[in-house]
Amino acid sequence: MKKMLLVVRREYLDRVKKKSFLIGTILGPVLMGLLIFAPALLFRLSPETQTSVTVIDLTGKVFEQMKASLSDTLGDGTPKFRFSKYETDEAGLDEAKRMLNFEVENDAIEGYLVIPADIIDSGKASFFGKRIGDIKTLERLESALSNVVIGMRLSSRGLDYSEVKGLVKTVDLETMQVTGKGEEKRGGFDFVFMSSFLFIMLLYMTILMWGVAVERSIIEEKNNRVIEVLLSSLKPEDLLFGKIFGIGAVGLTQYAIWGLFGTIMTAYGLTMGGPVAEFAGNLSFATLGFFILYYLLGFLFYATMFAGIGSVCNTDQEAQQMQTPVVLCLVFTILLPMMVIQRPDSTFATVISLIPFFTPIVMFMRINVLMPPLWQIALSIVLMVLAIRIAGTLAAKIFRTGILMYGKKPDAREILKWLKRA
Amino acid sequence: MLSIENVTKRYEGHTAVDDLSLTIEPGVVYGLLGPNGAGKTTTIRMTMGIIEPDEGKIEIFGEPFSESMKERIGYLPEERGMYRKMKVLDHIIFLAEIKGVPARTAAERAKRWLERVDLAGWEDKPVEALSKGMQQKIQFISTVIHEPQMVILDEPFTGLDPINTQLLKDVIIEMKDEGRTVILSTHLMDQVEKLCERICLINRGRKVLEGGLADIKMRFSKNVVAMRYSGSASELESHPDVEKIGEFGQGLSVTLAEGADPSRMLRYALDHGRVDRFEVGEMSLHDIFIAQVRAKGGELDEENAARGKA
Repeated sequence: MKKMLLVVRREYLDRVKKKSFLIGTILGPVLMGLLIFAPALLFRLSPETQTSVTVIDLTGKVFEQMKASLSDTLGDGTPKFRFSKYETDEAGLDEAKRMLNFEVENDAIEGYLVIPADIIDSGKASFFGKRIGDIKTLERLESALSNVVIGMRLSSRGLDYSEVKGLVKTVDLETMQVTGKGEEKRGGFDFVFMSSFLFIMLLYMTILMWGVAVERSIIEEKNNRVIEVLLSSLKPEDLLFGKIFGIGAVGLTQYAIWGLFGTIMTAYGLTMGGPVAEFAGNLSFATLGFFILYYLLGFLFYATMFAGIGSVCNTDQEAQQMQTPVVLCLVFTILLPMMVIQRPDSTFATVISLIPFFTPIVMFMRINVLMPPLWQIALSIVLMVLAIRIAGTLAAKIFRTGILMYGKKPDAREILKWLKRA
Repeated sequence: MLSIENVTKRYEGHTAVDDLSLTIEPGVVYGLLGPNGAGKTTTIRMTMGIIEPDEGKIEIFGEPFSESMKERIGYLPEERGMYRKMKVLDHIIFLAEIKGVPARTAAERAKRWLERVDLAGWEDKPVEALSKGMQQKIQFISTVIHEPQMVILDEPFTGLDPINTQLLKDVIIEMKDEGRTVILSTHLMDQVEKLCERICLINRGRKVLEGGLADIKMRFSKNVVAMRYSGSASELESHPDVEKIGEFGQGLSVTLAEGADPSRMLRYALDHGRVDRFEVGEMSLHDIFIAQVRAKGGELDEENAARGKA
């Protein structure tokens, strides 16, 4: 026990002292967060510039109304759209388009809108521009144009547009999550999903990263031949579990650092508004507790399997082949949340979340989305602990024999023999 | 100190150690000698409890192997590696701590040892900055830093230059003087001749010969003595220990009778004349090894025999 702790300390310090640990710890969640939140953030932060649009209005009636309804302004108060009207008739259209195409080419204008004379009936208009991927601007133009056309159609039948608009006003559904304590929590589906997903990606990343670190560390020790020196001083089990716990503790340290940032974020983030506040508002100590618990369980389970693989391999390349099934299990797990989040209390989700291979991520997801019955959480923990014990016993047996085998990689039959013997 | 009784270890396709028995008394330097692949390392690994024998039993300090014994044994494996990124002093302390030595004691001893092996000032350098020979000295320090009662050194001299080889030999003799038991395993039989009091020659997992080095040497000394002698050769020839005498320009070549004692013959010669030279033809351990394997009709890998000589 004491000797195992010495191994734990060595493995732990060896990694925590490295610069790469600090960098990984800070960059990990930042990168994950960016991956998940970036599209939304980018959308909000996309630079706003004035958009010059030339309008060819063959009806002669639409332009003024449309211009009036598009009174959007930029951050500094200047109008978002700068419209100019190009006077022409049906016959001069081709000529006008040639001319305006040239202007678009030279970025003199963003694009031009052709409103055909029959727009009221056909409901069709065309936009010509270079950057037709700017959906936000195009949608704005489209809806403004639609409103004008609808208004005209209505008035032609003697109806008042603003009156009708009031009558057909749609209903806004505000989503409120009812939590276990009978409280209501504001937060949309998107949000629950995204914040859970950040946690799940971190779980996945850390379990995989530190699990593989155990495997590599064993292979490294085999290759630099330290193992025999160590075995003359301690039991193979001390070495194996010292490694696993030492490297697991490195992951925990990472979580502690993240927890610290999380707390700071909660404190300040709430006042910041935007997605950060939403995220911070969703954090709770219970969530963090389960996060750490399922990391520990998941890491111990997977690291033990990776350790077994490391014991029978001589090179990282060999190990990469052998670890594929285990890694696939983990990868499969992060595909599940999509299914689980829609029906977190379904039989499928319940069963999946109780299988040790998937428990860490799926059960954590369920807890985040819809708190499962307490007995299911307890059962998942008991099953995980059992699975870890079984994996640990098997890994120790493989480790005992495998670590002194240099050169030849044992086949499955030989490994089975080791398992039976010890 | 260590007793190995009828121990056998089989691996897929071959028997690494075959019904081997030997006893090592405390306080001796014991040579476990044989060519590469003879089963030396396997025997040691079984002694250290790293692998289990298939048959037979091993006792250390009069008891069957137990985990706590590891703290009383120092083991320098043939496959010895180091954590390359660790600092020299941290490395020594870590290996000492897992042998049960408190960190502070380990640090003090480490400093003394580093000075002794001429590595003072290297404490805070990473292991990878050291040359191979230097690393080997650190490995040796780690083997003995917990002041073990029994030290097992597996091929300790490979890769050491003559100066460090001598340093290591000095330390081995020192440890013997302190009453520790040293087990030397090596295929360089002739190199350890002068260090070991007792030896065991093994080949293909079997014991070829065991005993006190002096006895073995005597038993296998060639029964020819080269002499320069002023007395009468024909008189000497009539001595019961002498079988025949050949005369050469430089001196005499005396062939001794079977079971003869050269010193008795020498005493007689001294009484009857002046002896300027008296040299009993000695066989090297390596020659004895080969002769013994051949005599017992055992197989001898020519390749191994050649390597043994190298």
